[in-house]
Amino acid sequence: MTNSIEELQDAKVLFVIGSNTTEAHPVISYYMKRAVKRGATLVVSDPRKTDLTRWATLHVQHKVGTDIAYINGLIHEIFKNGWAREDFLRECTENPDVIREGVRDYPVEKASEICGVPVETMRRVARILGEAESTSLCYTLGITEHICGTDNVKTLANLQMVLGNLGKPAAGVNPLRGQNNVQGACDMGALPNVFHNYQPVNNPELSAKIAKAWGVPSLPQKPGYTMPTMLRKALDGGTKILYCVGDNTVQTEPHMAHTIKELEALEFFVVCDIFDNLTTPYADVIFPDTAWGEEDGTFTNSERRVQRVRRALTPPGEARSHWWVMQELGKRLGKDLGFTSANAVWEDMRKSATSCAGITWERIESLGLQWPCPTLEHPGTTFLHRDGRFTRGKGLFSVTKWIPQAEPPDAEYPLVLSTGRRLWHYHSGTQTRNSKGFENIFGEELLEISPADAAALGIRNGDRVRATSRRGSIELTAWVTDRSAPGVVWCAFHFAEVCANVLTIDKFDSVTETAEYKACAIRVEKIGDGQPLGAGISRQARP
Amino acid sequence: MINPLDIEQLFVIATQRENEAFEFYSAAARKVGDPSVRAMFQQLAKDEQGHFELLERFRSNPTDIMKIAPPAADWKVAESEAMPPLSTDMKPRDAIALAMKKEQQAVEFYHALGAAATTAETRHMFENLANMELGHKHRLENMFIDVGYPEVF
Repeated sequence: MTNSIEELQDAKVLFVIGSNTTEAHPVISYYMKRAVKRGATLVVSDPRKTDLTRWATLHVQHKVGTDIAYINGLIHEIFKNGWAREDFLRECTENPDVIREGVRDYPVEKASEICGVPVETMRRVARILGEAESTSLCYTLGITEHICGTDNVKTLANLQMVLGNLGKPAAGVNPLRGQNNVQGACDMGALPNVFHNYQPVNNPELSAKIAKAWGVPSLPQKPGYTMPTMLRKALDGGTKILYCVGDNTVQTEPHMAHTIKELEALEFFVVCDIFDNLTTPYADVIFPDTAWGEEDGTFTNSERRVQRVRRALTPPGEARSHWWVMQELGKRLGKDLGFTSANAVWEDMRKSATSCAGITWERIESLGLQWPCPTLEHPGTTFLHRDGRFTRGKGLFSVTKWIPQAEPPDAEYPLVLSTGRRLWHYHSGTQTRNSKGFENIFGEELLEISPADAAALGIRNGDRVRATSRRGSIELTAWVTDRSAPGVVWCAFHFAEVCANVLTIDKFDSVTETAEYKACAIRVEKIGDGQPLGAGISRQARP
Repeated sequence: MINPLDIEQLFVIATQRENEAFEFYSAAARKVGDPSVRAMFQQLAKDEQGHFELLERFRSNPTDIMKIAPPAADWKVAESEAMPPLSTDMKPRDAIALAMKKEQQAVEFYHALGAAATTAETRHMFENLANMELGHKHRLENMFIDVGYPEVF
């Protein structure tokens, strides 16, 4: 996030796109609701009628995968009406004429044809954004989990730069992270091309600095593979060994049948996790890891805040902290990392990267700090790019073009399947599916289908249905609901027995290699009568 | 009572430093290729010009008592960074790092002179000048934090 979570409550306008915030980020959604109570205008753009839309001034139900056309249409309208912040464009951006020209192909009439949003609604949204003093923009995986995810993000950045909504409070481009500590994992260098704190591995000077700090002669300077490439290369022998920490790969990667083939092709596969899951049967070795309540360390949340996590329980059986497992492995491979605690790992990172250099465990004993926090004297940074100052000097616009989803619906597979998360479960359910409480509340996955599609297919609420894509089939219970727009069905990937990733397509964004989890073509058929779902089912999506 | 000759010498030193800084940033602006960095150096040169004029105002009116408060905090970011060399392909991060390092050097310079001063008045004057440079350093450190830590992967 360029800005902070708490600032959301002060926003005059909130523009939330591709984010089921109340279910996936319930705490953050409270700040959004507080903003609405204080008089903010909330625009939710989402193909689904998520719970947050109940709080929205306006819910814009654009078609799945049409974000670029929709946003470019808004930018076009903003320029046309003179709502662009010309002073910001002049002072803080490098190539404003490029975006002015780049959105000429997207007048609202044309954008409307692509995204399915009525022209008048698009004009209304553009006016709300254009006339606002400032707007805070939030997005989540509905933006990134597409083959054009990188361009989706660039388009949102274009919008906020055109509106001058960067470098000030209650504004910014705010991706709400998909997991509690994905920010921390990225900060720590769990990426193929950077060391900790985004220091490029192919920079010889930085590589030498870190090699010296770690007491090794040199470090590889060639970026590694992204995860889809690692798996793909298993099939041609390019990946022989896979070491997998806390990732239920079989259940979370798209096209499950293909993922299994990739894992089976490995010569040696190590899995580190807290419970058995769909992936562990393919492992040659399983290391039992500690769970979050059994671990000392830090989590870094979406707003770059490094927070302490403390051990409350003794780990069961042979479970060990993963830093310890890695260290023991290192010793057996001939390198003793020499760490004595999780804090020692943090200190090692802190001392060889400046953005977190001021964050010690002592300083975050009661409240976390937001990086950049380069020195012990610095209080941390609530929002980035103050007064429109960017890393590269001035902001750079990138023109983006809409492309259709990788697998559009057709006569054989006429519906679009979109996938995501539910309030009561987390990711592949390795934790939450092992909790009796959550299972009692929401113990069975449901396929959300619109009343119009259900009627056309003769499906009633609670009926058993089969969902089939070109990659597989699952059988589950139908939830007939206007949460889904006509033409779109939805289910989560939390449930191993009916996992959405049996159906999803293994097509990826060309830059990040994030899969298009949000759009593939499927067909749905009724396979049996069922018990009607209780009226309280919609409460299950409401925190 | 402070010796007028000492005050004059002090102003000569201080204004000379500002002048040198102005010349340095002006030359740097001519040298670098990146338009953003050039604009940054041009602004820094302008700032130094402003500092020079401020000192001249004090110099021309010796009855004015120089009272420059230090900034609310000293983040010590400049102290944590190495001085990057001036080059034609400098990035904004390095340009700001260079400027904040130069301000750090100025603070240290006046602190050293203050410590060596033989009268309370000159010490006070050097402390004020150090505070002024500390203020500049603080502003540049805030700028550095805005651009210095990209989340790029």
